[in-house]
Amino acid sequence: MRKTTILDLVSRKIAPFMLLFGFYLLSYGHISPGGGFQGGVVIASGVILLAMSRGVRTAESLFPIGALSLLEAVTYLLLLATGVAGIVVGVGFLGSLSARETAVAVPRVSFILLLNVLIGLKVGAGISVICMRLFKEE
Amino acid sequence: MSGQTAASGNPAPEHGPVPRRRRILAGAVEVAVLLLVGLFLYLALSGDHPEGSAVAAYLTDRAAEETGALNLVTAIYLGYRAFDTLGETIVLLLAVSGVMVFLEAQK
Repeated sequence: MRKTTILDLVSRKIAPFMLLFGFYLLSYGHISPGGGFQGGVVIASGVILLAMSRGVRTAESLFPIGALSLLEAVTYLLLLATGVAGIVVGVGFLGSLSARETAVAVPRVSFILLLNVLIGLKVGAGISVICMRLFKEE
Repeated sequence: MSGQTAASGNPAPEHGPVPRRRRILAGAVEVAVLLLVGLFLYLALSGDHPEGSAVAAYLTDRAAEETGALNLVTAIYLGYRAFDTLGETIVLLLAVSGVMVFLEAQK
């Protein structure tokens, strides 16, 4: 893969903002368009841009593949644990732990926010792992 | 002979032009497919839209309180259909596992 100066310069400036925008999409998915999947994919595209422009070795020093796949598995387990916690509390599998029947001025959003963050980390780590693992084969 | 030219990236020039009957048949199939697509689109778009149905009214009324998400799309896919979302994450987990397994087995 031939590197150009444009890609080299632009990627170093843009990649941090792509990661930041991904986390913004995660944490505001309950109010504005966005959410776990979209935010996770944006995070992964930031990681992939780093891996394409700086080389997989450099990107791997920031985001080790082992740590990413571990993060994916752990967030998936946490997602399942969140669902099971709903059963324990009595609102059903993946039922909202924070929402109440009585209306309040500010909706209790923490459960949706938790799910969004977990799914976003999982999707971002998963897609980054797939792409970096495939780039390493070259 | 034709296998060698195909392997070298040449789009098999010795086959000559496509026969006339085959072109007519292909055109007829294309027209039929387009007509079918147009028929389905007409049937799908010309009917009554289910706007103002009971489900939509319920969701716009109660979804924010019941799930806590002001964004109704998020309220549906993480509040009412969280199980479906869990299945989608399982699909991604399987994809990652498949890539890792096949690439490790190749070595």
